[in-house]
Amino acid sequence: MLELKGISKIYGEGSARVVALDKISFSADEDNFVAVMGPSGSGKSTFLNIIGGLDRPSKGEVILDGQRIDDLDENSLVDIRRGKIAYVFQQYHLLQSLTALENVLLPLVFCGASKDEDRALEILEKVGLGKRTGHKPSQLSGGEQQRVAIARALVSMPSLILADEPTGNMDRKTGSEILRLFTQLHKEGHGIIMVTHDPEIADYANIKVFLQDGRLVKKTNHKVRRPKKR
Amino acid sequence: MKLYQVVLKDVIRRKRRVLYATLGVVIGTATVVGILTVARAGQERIYNQLEKYGPNLAVIPAINNLDMKLGDVRLGMLAVGDNYVSEDKLPQIRQIADGEIRKALKIEDEGNIATIAPNLYIDTKIGDTSVMVVGVDPQEEIKIKTWWRVSQGKYLDQEDQALVGAIAAEILKLNVGDVIPLDGTNITVAGILEETGSNDDYQIFVPINTLQKAFGREGLVSSVDIRALCNACPVEIIADGINKEVPGVRAVAVKQIAASEMGMMEKMSKFMLTLAGITLAVGLFGVVNTMMTSVNERIKDIGIMRAVGASRSQIVKAFIYEAIIIGIIGGILGYAVGTFLAYIAGPLVFEGTTVALVPQYFALALVLAIAVAVVAAVYPAIRATQIKVADSFRSL
Repeated sequence: MLELKGISKIYGEGSARVVALDKISFSADEDNFVAVMGPSGSGKSTFLNIIGGLDRPSKGEVILDGQRIDDLDENSLVDIRRGKIAYVFQQYHLLQSLTALENVLLPLVFCGASKDEDRALEILEKVGLGKRTGHKPSQLSGGEQQRVAIARALVSMPSLILADEPTGNMDRKTGSEILRLFTQLHKEGHGIIMVTHDPEIADYANIKVFLQDGRLVKKTNHKVRRPKKR
Repeated sequence: MKLYQVVLKDVIRRKRRVLYATLGVVIGTATVVGILTVARAGQERIYNQLEKYGPNLAVIPAINNLDMKLGDVRLGMLAVGDNYVSEDKLPQIRQIADGEIRKALKIEDEGNIATIAPNLYIDTKIGDTSVMVVGVDPQEEIKIKTWWRVSQGKYLDQEDQALVGAIAAEILKLNVGDVIPLDGTNITVAGILEETGSNDDYQIFVPINTLQKAFGREGLVSSVDIRALCNACPVEIIADGINKEVPGVRAVAVKQIAASEMGMMEKMSKFMLTLAGITLAVGLFGVVNTMMTSVNERIKDIGIMRAVGASRSQIVKAFIYEAIIIGIIGGILGYAVGTFLAYIAGPLVFEGTTVALVPQYFALALVLAIAVAVVAAVYPAIRATQIKVADSFRSL
């Protein structure tokens, strides 16, 4: 269960003051697939970063599974990143010096469970990269890199996956493959919050949230394109 | 996979940048190693000179120069005392020298310890050329003048032989087997010495008994060289003992010269090491600088690591690992470069010195380089942890 209460985020001061988020309240269950929509500069990414504890709100509360996380100290946030929440970025954000497999193993390096190579391989197999585990990001296509990033997000078994325009760098065909993967993960019980500006992509989600000028202007619940439960 | 493996892979990918960061460490370490190696070679040379210096003590006749004055008018000088030391005093001198050494080194052995080499100097003429003939005790003399090498013929082994200094042989056109008349006594040239760069080159050495007889100076010597054969030997105490107990002679410790040279050397080493320290500090700032650049270049990578669960201390650790890698490479290269520079600079600083490889400086170089790199990494690493993850992605 994720709950946002009156979240505001303000950058700068005086004439340079920018209100990125303005008193947003929102809640979602962990088995929801949420699409966060809105034009560029509407505060979508800030919204996502605050949910995940990458950024702190200027005002308001973020509550994840009954625990306030907006005022947590750095170390507790690290724990949340290691267990409950994982990220998928538009730019994939893989380490160029590591292979696909090593990138997937990276979260385990930091939480100290470094012997779980089998699980990492299993997950790579699941995202369709079983044969490219030894490739470096530069040797992989955009779609393949994003699959590596998704596998990396899955390896720490998070309850919530935050995705920021995960298909933004891809052609339609590759993008829909990635979205199918997200849908599958959703079916398997991962909560997903995805930022996108593409209404067609948003149709994969069961909750749509519209942001404009930092304000939450609309929230709709609807049937997803694909059945939610098995 | 471990964190250090992640760092190692990253370092391999960014090898140029890492080598650039290493450069500062290499320069600092190389300077320290180079200076230490050269200084060590210099010290070695002084020790060798000390060794070559021969005697630790010289015993000479006690001659007092008295000013002759009448009122304020100086009339000249008068030498008072004998020009020679009597051979009778040699046993007494030996007793004092050996006694003090036994006391200092706590040895009971009854045999002779110190080398005691009497010399008799006679200024004479061979043909029309004035030459200094030195009477020596062949067995004792060679123990003091360990650097003597006979270039032709052989060393003295009979009473009527002579050993001729290199330049004296040239001037007098003497060859092995030539006969020299010395005040009526004929002696044969047994050998010719290699050039030594000292007064020895101009002199002719003859067994002291032969010379005493030839010039009617039986039982007399001009000076006595004493070599205590150890660095810790109490030469000053021996000199004091001889001066107090043996009348008519004056003993001088010749160690002071070497000691003062050694002191100079130490001062110079300190100065050079200060310079090396400054170089090291400058190198340190260089490494801090490249590390900072590396932080800026890797803001994104740091953000990625933070986003997937790296704690601040793990980010610091990653930088420390990188610094250790830089330190190891820098230490190895620094030692190699420093030793190489010492090979070139050594002979220029101390003429004729050959610089020896000093393996224990390798460990020193490694420790120094790693320490410098790690110290240099601390500030950039702390800066790296202060970057907000969200900002690190936004800036791209």
